[in-house]
Amino acid sequence: MGVLAEVTGNVGSIAYGLAAIGPGIGVGIIFGQGVQAIARQPELYNTIRQNMLLGFALTEALALIGFVVPFVHS
Amino acid sequence: MIARQLLAAEGGNEFQAPGTEIFDWGPLWDGAPSWLTKPTLIVALSVIIVCGFFWAAFSKPKLVPRGVQNIGEVGYLFVRDQVARPMIGKDGDKWMPFLLSTFFFILVMNLMGVIPVLQLPAPSHIAFAIVPAAVVYVLMVFLSIKHQGLGGWFKNMMFPPGLPAWLYIILAPIELLSTVILRPFTHAVRLFANMFAGHLLIAFFASVGYWFLIEKLTPLGSGLGVLGFVMSVVMTGFEIFVQALQAFIFTLLAASYIGGALHPDH
Amino acid sequence: MSNLLAAAAVAAEEGGHGNPLLPHASELVFGTISFAIVLILVGWKLVPQIQKTLEERTDAIEGGLKRAEEVQQEAKETLEAYKRQLAEARHDAARLREEAKEQGAQIIAEMRQEAQAEARRIVEAAHAQIEADRQQALQQLRAEIGALSVELAGRVVGESLEDSARQSRVVDRFLAELEERTRTQERISS
Repeated sequence: MGVLAEVTGNVGSIAYGLAAIGPGIGVGIIFGQGVQAIARQPELYNTIRQNMLLGFALTEALALIGFVVPFVHS
Repeated sequence: MIARQLLAAEGGNEFQAPGTEIFDWGPLWDGAPSWLTKPTLIVALSVIIVCGFFWAAFSKPKLVPRGVQNIGEVGYLFVRDQVARPMIGKDGDKWMPFLLSTFFFILVMNLMGVIPVLQLPAPSHIAFAIVPAAVVYVLMVFLSIKHQGLGGWFKNMMFPPGLPAWLYIILAPIELLSTVILRPFTHAVRLFANMFAGHLLIAFFASVGYWFLIEKLTPLGSGLGVLGFVMSVVMTGFEIFVQALQAFIFTLLAASYIGGALHPDH
Repeated sequence: MSNLLAAAAVAAEEGGHGNPLLPHASELVFGTISFAIVLILVGWKLVPQIQKTLEERTDAIEGGLKRAEEVQQEAKETLEAYKRQLAEARHDAARLREEAKEQGAQIIAEMRQEAQAEARRIVEAAHAQIEADRQQALQQLRAEIGALSVELAGRVVGESLEDSARQSRVVDRFLAELEERTRTQERISS
């Protein structure tokens, strides 16, 4: 059986594209919920903001690792 | 013009998008010392601009501000009220010198990416993103050990109080990895990747516009060229925003790490 | 990780474009020096100055406000003291007026009493005087009556020596007068 389908070119780009799905959704959820929480309790703005940024930093870490891996292997 | 060099070097009839080679800069002229490259020059220029601006603003501060001191105070108060005080608390004022310098240094370095002729955001060379991140990391480790003790730091980091016992088994290694290894890495790479990708985008659209409008002008291709040109303008505006935002986030996270080291679990 | 090191080695040898993730040593050094310059110049020298100025400004504003408040407080206290003094003075004046009125009434009463006493004394003195005068008059009268009666008797006797008829006429006349007198007295007293 021969090759059915083949992807040529830079597979690293595909890898990053796939890797960006998860953190994209995650960051969107974090900030969306954060904005909702601020709308519900505006007096907790500072606490919510700190937690938002903490969660964002952790989630974005995955996207950044995904960005970097193709360069590591090139 | 770099685009022409790039595209002409290919010499073909096919459009070649710019790659990571646009970030390679050799010495400014033949025979110059190997470290005197365009990025290095841009960083030197940023240092001069930042120091000059703050010298003009703060060297002889008056009680009723005039002129540049107003702008300098706006910047100072912005960093103090949005970054230092929320993240570190009341004694954030002690860290204001460090945070202010970091913020404006990175901001000016970033903005170099949209200034004509210069057009290279310095942190797109990872060394210039690693240096501030490494300083913040060293500061964070030093402060954590000084304020919490070595054991105390690891305990506070890996076993925050108030969680069910079985959770600690998963939580502790993740927290350790995250704080000790991932934090400096992501701190630097976030800045680097944003500048890198942004510059690449602008270069891509600019070269699309140039290729289809000037190099190989065809009726069909001109539409694409115009689109490329318009997009490069849009991307430049977007890049200005992203550059400022990235400088702000870098400083914000630096303040957050320092605050976390000073008062754990605040 | 070994990939990274190999790539770094290759890049270092070639000097051409390598992995953008690998920092160039020269850039690291240059970056460190530049960051240090910015930190020292801006952070160490300039920011403390503006911090001091901001604090001074806050002090000036707050201090100025506090001083204004204090002065206002002082003014209020002085006003209170003045008002109190004024109220006291009015109070005193009212009291003095009351006293004066009382004293006036008292004085009038005293004077009236004295005047009355004086009048009584005068009246009494007058009574005494009248009494004394009456006594004196009685005395005088008694004395004169003695002399007069003696004279009358002498005249009567003188006349009787001349005429016994006239003597009987005198005695009759005298008796008739006596009767007249008693009769009028009875008429008066009845």
